[in-house]
Amino acid sequence: MLTRRYFLRSSAIAVAGMGAAPAWILRAAAPQTRKQKILISIFQRGAADGLNIVVPHFEKRYYDLRPAIAVPAPGKPNGAIDLDGRFSLHPALQQLKPLWDSGQLAIVEATGSPDPNRSHFEAQDQMESGTPGKTTDDGWMNRALPRANASTSPVRAIAIGAKMPRTLRGNCNAVAVSDLQQFQVGNAPAAGILESMYASSSDAQLGSQGKETFEALKLIASINKTPYQPVNGAQYIGEFGNALRQIARLIKADAGVEAAFAEIGGWDHHSNEPGQLPGLLNQFGNSLAAFTRDMGDRMQDIALVTMSEFGRTAAEDGNNGTDHGHGSVMFVLGGPVHGGKVYGQWPGLQPEQLFEKRDLAVTTDYRAVLGELVRDHLGQSIEPVFPGFKPGNPLGLLKT
Amino acid sequence: MKRLGFMLSAAALLVAGWTIFGSAAGRFDVKLTLDKQMVHVLNRMTFGPRPADLAEVRRLGVDKWIDQQLHPDRIPQNPALEAKLKPLESLQLAMWQIMDKYNAPPIGALPPMVSPLSTLPPLQVSKLTNGGSVEEKKAVLASLDPDTRRRLLATAPPQMMEGLPDELQQEAIKARQAEQEARQMEMRRLMPPLNELITPEQMRLARQGNPADKLALMDSFEPAKRQQVVRALGPQAFQDVPELRREAMLLTQPQQLVNSELIENKLNRAIYSNRQLEEVLVDFWMNHFNVFNGKGQDRVLLTSYERDAIRPNVFGHFKDLLLATAKHPAMLFYLDNWQSQAPRDDLPVPVGPNGAPVRRPGLNENYGRELMELHTMGVNGGYTQQDVIAVARAFTGWSIYDPNKYGEYQFNPAVHDRKEKIVLGHTLPPGRAEQDGLDVIDILAHHPSTAKFISRELAQRFVADDPPQALVDRMAETFTKTDGDLRAVMQTMFTSVEFSSEGAWQAKLKSPLEMVVSAVRSLNADTTDVFALAQRIADLGEPLYGHVEPTGYPNTGESWTNTAGILGRINFASALASGQVPGVKVDVSRFNFKPPASVAGDLLGYAPSASMLSSMEKGIEGKEATPSMLTGVVLSSPEFQRR
Repeated sequence: MLTRRYFLRSSAIAVAGMGAAPAWILRAAAPQTRKQKILISIFQRGAADGLNIVVPHFEKRYYDLRPAIAVPAPGKPNGAIDLDGRFSLHPALQQLKPLWDSGQLAIVEATGSPDPNRSHFEAQDQMESGTPGKTTDDGWMNRALPRANASTSPVRAIAIGAKMPRTLRGNCNAVAVSDLQQFQVGNAPAAGILESMYASSSDAQLGSQGKETFEALKLIASINKTPYQPVNGAQYIGEFGNALRQIARLIKADAGVEAAFAEIGGWDHHSNEPGQLPGLLNQFGNSLAAFTRDMGDRMQDIALVTMSEFGRTAAEDGNNGTDHGHGSVMFVLGGPVHGGKVYGQWPGLQPEQLFEKRDLAVTTDYRAVLGELVRDHLGQSIEPVFPGFKPGNPLGLLKT
Repeated sequence: MKRLGFMLSAAALLVAGWTIFGSAAGRFDVKLTLDKQMVHVLNRMTFGPRPADLAEVRRLGVDKWIDQQLHPDRIPQNPALEAKLKPLESLQLAMWQIMDKYNAPPIGALPPMVSPLSTLPPLQVSKLTNGGSVEEKKAVLASLDPDTRRRLLATAPPQMMEGLPDELQQEAIKARQAEQEARQMEMRRLMPPLNELITPEQMRLARQGNPADKLALMDSFEPAKRQQVVRALGPQAFQDVPELRREAMLLTQPQQLVNSELIENKLNRAIYSNRQLEEVLVDFWMNHFNVFNGKGQDRVLLTSYERDAIRPNVFGHFKDLLLATAKHPAMLFYLDNWQSQAPRDDLPVPVGPNGAPVRRPGLNENYGRELMELHTMGVNGGYTQQDVIAVARAFTGWSIYDPNKYGEYQFNPAVHDRKEKIVLGHTLPPGRAEQDGLDVIDILAHHPSTAKFISRELAQRFVADDPPQALVDRMAETFTKTDGDLRAVMQTMFTSVEFSSEGAWQAKLKSPLEMVVSAVRSLNADTTDVFALAQRIADLGEPLYGHVEPTGYPNTGESWTNTAGILGRINFASALASGQVPGVKVDVSRFNFKPPASVAGDLLGYAPSASMLSSMEKGIEGKEATPSMLTGVVLSSPEFQRR
């Protein structure tokens, strides 16, 4: 059955196709999306060093293990930014402090996959699959999407970049976009031929992707009619900032986004970590802060979560860096988040407390964090998303 | 109607089983017709067929053509390629010469501010920077001559200034400001701003003129002035004039020029080389032994890495290839092995000039892990964390002699871990220095997991994303029997039923590099500059030499099939076909007055499907279908994205 919203959306698309897309049609077409809950997943590829991102400055052992690369305690020159007397943020993350203070930012410590894998690509594949110890063809976030209906947006699930991350691969339509402004067919007369060619192709893989491409093209063309200006002084920096800017633009255009993905690479600091981490964290923190500012009260509908495939060795290695480890840290950001609190049980850094005597242990399964967001934010059940996972006591990450 | 359409296309899917990703299992035993085989070998063993290639395969016969590609020295090289490569000067230089020429600061740049600290006696340096009291620091400063004192204060590190009184702090600030002003004046003298160098009319020509205008204008200046102007304009102004772009890069970012020439080298070879399999293999192994061009000195080391470590070994024995990468400074630098040293507790603590212990580097696991996971055994090959540590210890001392200046491999016995190690059950006796690493290379090159992993990787590149296990097993058997002879392993693969089967036909999706180069080749386009093509490939998600992580780019299709990728390919195809990619001359006049079926058949090498043809025919009904439009459509089609 055709709903009013479907009709309006179709009209918007039709109008857009003819070269004029009044914003009101789009907005009118998507009245429900204003209340649409949105989940955003950020992947830090390369195994981010959780211990230097959120610093356990109360642990004397942290400083013993990392004489050359530890972040100085709060109050010292270039010291970390105190959060709760026990944990503190790396100084390059200062822009996240106001979000912590206003209760929008929660931190989960000693979290990660229960699988002891230390291979980047396997651990990433498994984390994105949502199945520790094995890889599935589809990603956890795709499985977390409700079944599509006539009013589902062609950009309901969007990844920013030239590749589709496993997190969003699967049965539900998902699109990858490098840059909204350039998401258009250069040769308009050929577009119709190609649309039909892809739609009728017997190539299962390319045919369906082609169909999604042409649907997304029409919607994005109408969004592109209105130039985008971030508000509230939001300044996105770097490639990661640009990715979040694209997501912000789609959400504010009421394009019907339900799930979004962005990534930031370069965390594999086997050497000279103090020379590399601050710049990366600066881009990371600034971009998240800019996104929050830009979204304004739309953050009420948004939960954003960050993750990395594993953490790094508790002790520094021989070259002022760290090697592949185990437990790490996750950030959960958004209006519905019960923030200003460090979640998870701290396992300690004494030799017998470390995983395999070398890495921060995992006391909170990353699926416990994502599962709460899937269930309490998106309103979906956890089992199909994380098959076989039995959540323990809820963390209580979201306000109820 | 809708329902019927669905059932029809489902039936079509069953008939055309090869097009369904992953569903080809069971059809690897059905041999391709001879016509298809000829297209197939071209699609798999080259960067895509040029118009005349099919006739050549037909003339030689498939088997003989394959054999020839496996022995590239028997194929006369394309004379056009030599001309294309000639301007790329860095490619002709030895690694030390590259370091010498391009690693220096840009010509005309001021030398960095040098602190006179290094010229002072060690005890004074120690007092100033390593915890001396305020009185001690003041005494040292008072003992210096005025010029040294001024230069020292202008460059003082923060720990030196800590605790010093206000008047000294002020003096340091003034010294620093004076130094900066002097440097700015000097910079202005060396590099005057553009508007003081050339007239507004010249500026307009330099920025907006055509390539010939730009060349003529630059040629009209004296050499010294030309240098100033070219540098002030920078490479951005000369995107469309390769020789001026290189000149400007050499003046402003010489290291970047090395990388840029390496990319030009790669694309020209991919487009023009007659030894296509060799180029495909160099690309494959560079990706297998990935090194990222954005990591420090690797930008200037990669040229030699590809030319001296990878290329000579792609038809050789795997062990030689492995050893060549293990010893190459590009790899040693990329995966940090050059600074990995025996664990700190194992060697005596060195003492610095002031008598205090110096913290020296220790063990780094990075290379040891990736060597087993990615280069040889595969992640499930059967090694443990203990093996990772043992391998890392074995390779301590495999280092680089001065990576900033010479960049040559050297074994440094002083930092090698001399203790006994156990690697995958093999005991490496203590005290054997460099032999430890050589033994590990030998153990890994002969490990059964390596034979399987390498065979599977090759089959994944050349046969299918999920290649038949029976084929992989036979390749691994050849690998083991021939001591890892890669040519023999490929012979097993290329002569197999599976390789020439319906299961393999069009089963692979082209990577961005493969798509772009195959499109250029299919049109027999002539490139005067491949800079824009490289940018296109990067935009499609595969910046050349630019993969950060050691995994390299995916060998399988699923990460390239998505909306961004499809749209990017569509837009590249139509830009190329209509001659809008700078530096690439396209002539589609051979398609004048040709119907869609003929254009598609020509570019694909086989007859297009009925549905593809009907989309094209319906789409152009009542419109003027230009050859470039039809070409763009075919190069954008799902069929052309496969090989």
